[in-house]
Amino acid sequence: MADGINQDYLFGSHDYGDLPLKPDHPNRPLWVSPEDGHIILEGFSPIAEQAQDFLVAISEPVSRTSLMEEYKITPYSLYAAVSVGLETDDIIEVLNRLSKVPVPASIVSFIKECTMSYGKVKLVLKHNRYFVESAHADTLQMLLRDQIIKNARVDSNSHIETSSAPTKGDLVIPGTKEAQGTNNQSGQPNQPNQPDPPPENTTNEGEQQNKPDDKKKNTGDEYFTALIDIEKQDEMEDDEEVHSFEIKSDEIETVKRRCNELEYPMLEEYDFHNDTRNPNLDIDLKPVTVIRPYQEKSLSKMFGNGRARSGIIVLPCGAGKTLVGITAACTIKKSILVLCTSSVSVMQWKQQFMQWSNVNDSQISVFTADQKEKFGGDSGIVVSTYSMVANTRNRSHESQKMMDFLTSREWGFILLDEVHVVPAAMFRRVVTTIKAHSKLGLTATLVREDDKIDDLNFLIGPKLYEANWMDLAAKGHIANVQCAEVWCPMVPCFYREYLREKSRKRMLLYSMNPHKFQACQFLIDFHEDRGDKIIVFSDCVYSLEQYARKLKKPYIHGGTSQVERMRVLQRFQFDSNVNTIFLSKVGDTSIDLPEATCLIQISSHFGSRRQEAQRLGRILRAKRRNDEGFNAFFYSLVSTDTQEMFYSTKRQGFLVDQGYAFKVITHLFGIERLPELVYRSEKEQIELLESVLLANESAADIGSDIKASEDDLAGTIHGVTKRMTGSTSALAGGQAMSYIEKNKSANKQITKDSRHSLFKKRDKDAADRAKKKKQRLAGEA
Amino acid sequence: MDLNIIQLDQNAIQLNESFTSSLSSLLTGKHIESISKSISTSIDQLDSFATHQWEIILHFMVGNYTHTPSKGVLFLLENSNLINSSKSSHNITSNGFQFLLQDVQFQLWQLLLQYLSLSQIRQMDLVEVTSFLFILGTLELGKDYSIDSLTITQQAMLSDLRDYGLIWQRKNSSKRFYPTRLATSLTSSAPPLLPTNSSSSFTSASNNKRFIVLETNYRLYAYTSNPLQISILNLFVTLKARYPNLVIGVITRDSIRSALSNGITAEQIIGYLSSHAHSQMYRNNPLLPVTVSDQIRLWELEKNRLKADDGVLYEDFRSQPDYEILLNYANSYDCVLWSNDSKRLFFVTLQGHQIVREFVKRRLPGGTGSASTSNSNSSTLSLPT
Repeated sequence: MADGINQDYLFGSHDYGDLPLKPDHPNRPLWVSPEDGHIILEGFSPIAEQAQDFLVAISEPVSRTSLMEEYKITPYSLYAAVSVGLETDDIIEVLNRLSKVPVPASIVSFIKECTMSYGKVKLVLKHNRYFVESAHADTLQMLLRDQIIKNARVDSNSHIETSSAPTKGDLVIPGTKEAQGTNNQSGQPNQPNQPDPPPENTTNEGEQQNKPDDKKKNTGDEYFTALIDIEKQDEMEDDEEVHSFEIKSDEIETVKRRCNELEYPMLEEYDFHNDTRNPNLDIDLKPVTVIRPYQEKSLSKMFGNGRARSGIIVLPCGAGKTLVGITAACTIKKSILVLCTSSVSVMQWKQQFMQWSNVNDSQISVFTADQKEKFGGDSGIVVSTYSMVANTRNRSHESQKMMDFLTSREWGFILLDEVHVVPAAMFRRVVTTIKAHSKLGLTATLVREDDKIDDLNFLIGPKLYEANWMDLAAKGHIANVQCAEVWCPMVPCFYREYLREKSRKRMLLYSMNPHKFQACQFLIDFHEDRGDKIIVFSDCVYSLEQYARKLKKPYIHGGTSQVERMRVLQRFQFDSNVNTIFLSKVGDTSIDLPEATCLIQISSHFGSRRQEAQRLGRILRAKRRNDEGFNAFFYSLVSTDTQEMFYSTKRQGFLVDQGYAFKVITHLFGIERLPELVYRSEKEQIELLESVLLANESAADIGSDIKASEDDLAGTIHGVTKRMTGSTSALAGGQAMSYIEKNKSANKQITKDSRHSLFKKRDKDAADRAKKKKQRLAGEA
Repeated sequence: MDLNIIQLDQNAIQLNESFTSSLSSLLTGKHIESISKSISTSIDQLDSFATHQWEIILHFMVGNYTHTPSKGVLFLLENSNLINSSKSSHNITSNGFQFLLQDVQFQLWQLLLQYLSLSQIRQMDLVEVTSFLFILGTLELGKDYSIDSLTITQQAMLSDLRDYGLIWQRKNSSKRFYPTRLATSLTSSAPPLLPTNSSSSFTSASNNKRFIVLETNYRLYAYTSNPLQISILNLFVTLKARYPNLVIGVITRDSIRSALSNGITAEQIIGYLSSHAHSQMYRNNPLLPVTVSDQIRLWELEKNRLKADDGVLYEDFRSQPDYEILLNYANSYDCVLWSNDSKRLFFVTLQGHQIVREFVKRRLPGGTGSASTSNSNSSTLSLPT
């Protein structure tokens, strides 16, 4: 340091200023921290894209903003890296090649430590027999010295078998270009042993052709070429021999557990090609179905060596997770069990299967509280919910029979939707009761507020792939979204009560803040005029109903019946007069509304980053996303000076790290001029306040929305059940006096198919207004 | 005598006329002769001394107290309103932050001008001080000059100038001084400080001016190892980690608030970030993420939500009716800023106080049954706006 100026105190333990820089550091794109495996990547480096691919494989993305990205190497990320076939030395070597500073010894030993045991052992089902397989014979010898594993071995005297390692071979993932080639031009010779060159390779060549004299780029390419070489080496190494021994099928659980204890967790691979015991399912993608490059990439991680690896694929909502699942199913072609979180999504999965694949109605069946069907034939698809399968309470006779059907057979493939919301205990039950050869978890966010990600890693498998949100948005696969946080100052009388009340009521007060009400009304009005379809989210059912009734919009919450839900959703999708719906958190996941282009959030679950991401996901698949200049809108209404501000910042954490920017709006221009603005006068505000204060305390309880149906996953947010204490006055009926909103539920209007003439007139007026507006806009344009 | 300088005139020695005039002009400050060329100190040494002294000042301003500058420097900084000193701590002011953003030449002159303006308080002759500064600008780097030809005021200045790094002396009592590059470049456009070693604050200051990457997640990546730049960042960024050529920090509400509380404005911070934005950032339009710059401004607005009004608090009412009568009266003049019925307190504006006091005198004479007011102490009430 110059002249002994000591700034170490500014950085504490995170001062790596002493690390030597490599002389050619400007050509290398990243820094590695010796302390915690943190990696910082220059996103603008010429070889950033290759580095990203590598880093996504070996580390967890922490933040992916436009110029700089951060990653973190964790034991689980290394576990995942090993499971897709990367070797310890390669990881270290490539990392060192990309790093501006030599990879610190601490990180090298960390990588070695983690990868030494991870992924070395695989559990493979081959020819209907279970084998423990490894490329390292000594590892197997070591395992066999363990008494428990030794006892589980089928023939304890035989030698360890040796065979050549599996390759991707002629496996073709349907829906890819390769598949198109084989399907359409069957005359053209197929090249079985040459998997697609990695797409990066072509870009690399392109760069070289385009800018042959760009020296910097060339040096970058050199580094990259070296990187590719390593990947090729991987493929070479795959030709090596593998060793295996057979274990008894009823001892699998024991062996798996024992291996975890020995810190040699087994990767599960399913050699479905050679599985002759389970009958094939005749399923394929429809010829018109083509999957997108990132979907292909994620699947290639799953089927990289011609077998099905178990694991989790992380794609943003709206990026076609369902299609990835269906394609995987069409690749494996065995009996498939799909588990999702609610009966609504059960129906959506079934419909998606019908849409994308050639499966016929008799092959796909549904198991919910209302419907219990079995598929015809030897193999088929069952779509159900977690709670139906993991239910431990008494079942009805019918569902017990259905469960027996599920548990009695072997499943080639189990698809787990929205894995991040399911409590680990429930997973464990599902995983142990259902015999499945491979598992694929799908999710948009592997963020859990309760840090239960570790459980998922071992119950399902490592994360196989995680997409970059901004990247997908830039390529038009998901919608561009403008995010905004709208600051609504608390109305003084509300704020006074807010300061006085206890925490639970506080939430009601800030979500019912009249200024927020007005902002919501204004935004709905503004976006309906633009022709947007709007979803308004409120976790708090009380406010949901109040808002929806006051603003005369239909709403859905946990208590809404299935029939009514479907009807409201349909009207929203197809009726040009229903442009806004209010949803409670039942709409957070799995309700698929591609029409929605604008989202307003009026109350939410404290600081849940995942909920924020899930909700954003509702508009990412907007149908109109490829229109030029199209933007979806995401508004979060926040009452200033309340806890909501704090939660709001926390909630945005995940999305902000994905590169989304939340603009703060402190004033909505023109809100005062909105006709029929609600709660304009102080008198109305005080009336509203009174009704809020009179409301039962439990109205503020966001957990009250979940006892919807047997299918819906209880407490999808945390899986926490709250014990409620009611007041004695409530028990005595002393709270019967409460404010009743005079507006009728707009749901009722929707249910009436023939609308009252009064409404018809109103609708006509509205339609005329919209038409005129459009004409005017067209005129202006 | 051979040079015709000295003329012997009986018992007296008379100097050559032209020599006399040039000597006098020399003494009054037009020129100082270098006295020796042999034992000169190397220019490198002078440069590193100047840089060191200057860095001490700048580092001190940004809160790095490894070296404390002399009292004279502190006095100058405080009086220039560049730092704010309390008993134990010194905080940079808004002016000080602005000062740091300038180049060295500008900073130097700003300090010297301040020095000039303070010279009279310190009973120094302004003319002599000024002329000495100009003389310094004409001296040659690497040569030493005698202090004998300087006036007493100018000799007194030497210790100050030494603290600023403008001159170097072998010892404090030395009879010679060496001007540094800071001094010799005062009146020229040459750079006043040269890079001395790699971690110096002025290393290639011009070409790494664009070193900051600011992201929408409020993280800041600064390509620098420069202690001064790091210290400046530390004024408004929570620093997280440092690599040899990169510093990582995050802008938080707290970090911005601590800068704001020193008087640094949101605009100054945004200005600093934009003027040092990394060349890659220039692909963005606008340059800085709007959300971050908006948020910095909002955090500033957040601080300015209290509005102070002068007024008078009425308290200690004997009875509820007294309180109500007076409050209603005050209300009718619309001068009540705040009232609390349960505690029988209210607060009126200063203008309102006149009227209300009149009313008290008229309606509640003699003090019996009247409210005692705290009108002797006019207090200030702060209300959120």
